Amino acid sequence: MATILVVEDDKNQRVLYEDELKEEGYHVILAKDGREAVRKVRDNKIDLVVLDIRMPGADGVETLSNIIAVNKKVPVILNTAYTSYKDNFMTWAAEKYIVKSSDLSELKKSIKEILDRKKPGE
Amino acid sequence: MMNNVMTIILAGGRGERLYPLTKDRAKPAVPFGGIYRIIDFTLSNCLNSHVRKINVFTQYKSISLDRHIKLGWNIFNNELGEYINVIPPQQRTSENWYMGTADAIYQNIYSIEAERPEHVMILSGDHIYKMNYEMMFRFHVEKNADVTVGGIEFDVAKAARQFGILEINEDRRIIGFEEKPEHPKTIPGSPDKALSSMGIYIFKTDKLMRAVIEDTKKDSAHDFGKNIIPGMFKKDRVFAYLFVDENKKEVKYWRDIGTLDAYWEANMDLIEVTPVFNMYDKEWPLRTYQEQHPPAKTVFAQEHKGGRVGAALDSIISAGCIISGGKVQRSILSPEVRVNSYSNVFQSILMEGVNIGRHAKIKNAIIDKGVSIPEYAEIGYDLEKDRKHYTVTDSGIVVIPKGATVENDK
Repeated sequence: MATILVVEDDKNQRVLYEDELKEEGYHVILAKDGREAVRKVRDNKIDLVVLDIRMPGADGVETLSNIIAVNKKVPVILNTAYTSYKDNFMTWAAEKYIVKSSDLSELKKSIKEILDRKKPGE
Repeated sequence: MMNNVMTIILAGGRGERLYPLTKDRAKPAVPFGGIYRIIDFTLSNCLNSHVRKINVFTQYKSISLDRHIKLGWNIFNNELGEYINVIPPQQRTSENWYMGTADAIYQNIYSIEAERPEHVMILSGDHIYKMNYEMMFRFHVEKNADVTVGGIEFDVAKAARQFGILEINEDRRIIGFEEKPEHPKTIPGSPDKALSSMGIYIFKTDKLMRAVIEDTKKDSAHDFGKNIIPGMFKKDRVFAYLFVDENKKEVKYWRDIGTLDAYWEANMDLIEVTPVFNMYDKEWPLRTYQEQHPPAKTVFAQEHKGGRVGAALDSIISAGCIISGGKVQRSILSPEVRVNSYSNVFQSILMEGVNIGRHAKIKNAIIDKGVSIPEYAEIGYDLEKDRKHYTVTDSGIVVIPKGATVENDK
């Protein structure tokens, strides 16, 4: 079972993502901020990270570079309500940039695609 | 023309093969030609090419380099958008030192982000040459290149099994790479020449950023020459710009002062009647930092037997030197060197503040900053003895490091 780390500062959204992704058959780990996210990437075998951008403390862009510093191979999906970070160079290190919507189908589809692509090499 | 180009000079190499000259300083800060530091040649190229936005990325032993740039190169006008910044590792995207040239760029992604230039030019602070980067940039724009690599031609025979070779087509587009090939591919139109990378690059910024980000996630040497360029040329527009030498001599001058012997030889070239490397061209001025010193001086002209004669022949004598009754020949003296009576200095490089005691004899030596040679000491005459205390190179050059205490041989 693939393990997904969801990094999201909003508690309600964390619960939502956890439920929905569990339903898809993934093992889900949660982090409420960038610092916790980096620690969990370091200490767990994570197959994919879903990362919010606007968070208190280190934002998602900075967290992304911190995640790469501890695990350069783990794929990251940036999942944000804003399109304005798309030009930011560091966000290009993410596997995918998804603009949040109430419907999680795009996110789920992307997770599946990335994990399928990853398998042969792992 | 160069307004939308950010220039990055990589000045973080350890220069281990130049040890002990790099004992206390990074390679770009190693003195050269009496008054210069190695990085001055690249910085002078920038100045002469209208390059005015410069970031120097330092790493190891950067104090000397940092000081030199602050004192000597703080000539840019911020109000005109010009600057020179010396940037040590920020440890913002990594807790490691730079793992390679590409990693140095990746780790500074935020400083490039902050300015978002259209193009980034990447230079090395290690090389001695004269080049107009504006011409290379013009070529880069004309070709609409994603990246342009500076290349220097070598005779095929010399290049074989020696260098990484760039294969180009008639349009100068790079179509292949070979690492130290037996039979190098030649340049179209020049069947006896092969092209090697000079380690200088101009990138479209977004292409550079995508390339270094992709590279950082790989197990790679994180090196432009080994990883980035070979990974790009098949899918991107990668061109080679052929080095045009502003030194204007028959043979193109480009030196990576890789070894102590190469360092000594490149310095010795400067005292030839017509050196290969021309420091006197007013159209390509070389700049450095110099303290104020009184003029160089020679004293004693007692040309009778047993008398003292202070003289320098076939030599470079910097300001503040006093040659007081000793003889200097085929040597390079940095500022404030003192050569005392009855001493003899031959084919040597004496750095700033070196003192040569009376009756001392110095031959084929490099004496680093501030070293005092006592009376009657002999350096370079008995290499077995010198080898016990100092570095002696393959060709017999004795190197006395900073801070060394030299013993009296009498």
